[in-house]
Amino acid sequence: MKFKVRAARKEDCKDISRMIMELAVYEKMPDQVKISHEELERDGFSPNPFYECLIAEVPDEHKTKDGYTIVGYALYFYTYSTWKGRSVYMEDLYVMPDFRGKGIGKGLMAKVAQVGVEKQCVRLQLSVLEWNKPSLDFYVSKGAEDLTAKEGWHFLRFDGQTLDTLAKEAPKD
Amino acid sequence: ECNSFILRKAEPKDVSDILRLIKELAKFEKMEEQVILTEKELLEDGFGDHPFYHCVVAEVPEHKQSSDGYTVIGFAMYYFTYDPWIGKLLYLEDFYVMKEFRGYGIGSDILKVLSETAVKTRCSSMHFIVAEWNKSSIEFYKRRGASDLSDEEGWRLYAIDKDDLLKISAKKR
Repeated sequence: MKFKVRAARKEDCKDISRMIMELAVYEKMPDQVKISHEELERDGFSPNPFYECLIAEVPDEHKTKDGYTIVGYALYFYTYSTWKGRSVYMEDLYVMPDFRGKGIGKGLMAKVAQVGVEKQCVRLQLSVLEWNKPSLDFYVSKGAEDLTAKEGWHFLRFDGQTLDTLAKEAPKD
Repeated sequence: ECNSFILRKAEPKDVSDILRLIKELAKFEKMEEQVILTEKELLEDGFGDHPFYHCVVAEVPEHKQSSDGYTVIGFAMYYFTYDPWIGKLLYLEDFYVMKEFRGYGIGSDILKVLSETAVKTRCSSMHFIVAEWNKSSIEFYKRRGASDLSDEEGWRLYAIDKDDLLKISAKKR
């Protein structure tokens, strides 16, 4: 099946939002999606974007049952490692179930890797849920190493009330 | 005793102190040989046209300098990332206060200033990673309300290095 991987445009945000929800459902956390295509448009397509996105598109004759031709996406941004410098972090990689097994996931990831290399990034990082065996296998086959297992890294977070409380206690200048 | 310290935004002149502190922290994390970043890269990447990171430093007056003569005695490096479910996040990459200056609330104040920055810039959350053997750091964060997403939700950190990135990006479809 022919498909095209290209940089997302502002008008693609509705499709990206649709697929973000589909991925959240797959990860068993749909109620955690709090933003819509409007925030995506504002945060990804302003003079100072907070992320970049690639989409995978199929020709009209292969569109989905609901009439969509955008069938996958990869959302990423640049991070910084104090040890190695510029890195690229692939936050989401998703292909609609009916379009898997056709190299679309590989194609999206290859383009993220290419963008990263062009921007002189030394590494691509991502996080995967430990039960997500198909994804773990996919990434490991591409050379990914589990740094949580190897080096013991855990993800921590301050949010909501805890973040506000800390913020209120900040020393004044 | 040391209750006279200031927290301020890092400036280009601070890069050599920042690199020194990065290496001290890496040594503490038992990964000193992994720091390949140079002062030149820190300067370009933090103070050029497209900053890849932001930095806050903690400074003491001259008469309170460290035993080896330094007045910049702590730092935190952060940048903005994106969660497709909740939008902008503040990501804390490195956070370190020199051993002889601990216990005076410097680290605590740094965390509060970063939380304030997060709230002011419309970030829903502050994220970071900690090595699971680093009990004192984990305690520091948990005391202030941090949740461990690796434990609670099963997220694991994966990385793909430059060589494998080149392989992935070069494959033809």
